[in-house]
Amino acid sequence: MKMVRAIVRPEKENDVVLALEAKGFPAMTKTHVFGRGKQKGLKVGPIHYDELPKVMLMIVAEDSSVPVIVEVIKNSAYVGYEGDGKVFVSPVTEVYTIRTGEKSEG
Amino acid sequence: MMVEVTAIIRRDKVAPTMRALDAMGLGAMTITTVSGRGLQGGNVMTDLDREVPAEYDAVSKITRNLTPASFALVHSLTRPVFWIPKRMLQIVLPSSMKNEVVDMIMSVNRSGWMGDGKIFVSPIDESLRIRTGERGVDSV
Repeated sequence: MKMVRAIVRPEKENDVVLALEAKGFPAMTKTHVFGRGKQKGLKVGPIHYDELPKVMLMIVAEDSSVPVIVEVIKNSAYVGYEGDGKVFVSPVTEVYTIRTGEKSEG
Repeated sequence: MMVEVTAIIRRDKVAPTMRALDAMGLGAMTITTVSGRGLQGGNVMTDLDREVPAEYDAVSKITRNLTPASFALVHSLTRPVFWIPKRMLQIVLPSSMKNEVVDMIMSVNRSGWMGDGKIFVSPIDESLRIRTGERGVDSV
């Protein structure tokens, strides 16, 4: 199992969620985060913004569906400017469903 | 070796879970306010459906607001709920305590209804206590 964490533009959140749902991945967790990238934020005239609002989507999926998820996010969150966001993939060794106690590994 | 246990649970279960973890000697955790949806795509009606008593006939189900459809109609919802407020608990612990902690979280949080949440276990490569510079299991 892998956890895919996508940090996307807040205005693109709905597009990404609907695109993932259409591909059969309705389950996810989102949280509002603030961050900055390589450009150290945004400079507008003399004003420096170093905490830009983003939405982080977390999806846990089988290893085999990770390329699909990443591709869907890449296409639906794309604008073409700095600040489109990042996708991180990290390992998850075990997943439990609390309601049933069901466990899936790998 | 250390693992991170990430539990996404109901908001009202945070206090009981924390009390139970405290009793096991685990006081340290990070709690985040998150919104989530499961395989039902945030559809709480799937859950509500189970509450409708069998003795009601179809008409009284609608007039008494007992079906998902009429509930959604009354609340002007085409689709019940998109995002359900949840709390995410992240606990880093030595891997020897993993099974005990997972079992405990499951027993405290299980109501048997959809939306009880998920638990994810993932490996942690390194951990460091900033104040003292301790590394590894000593630091958690």
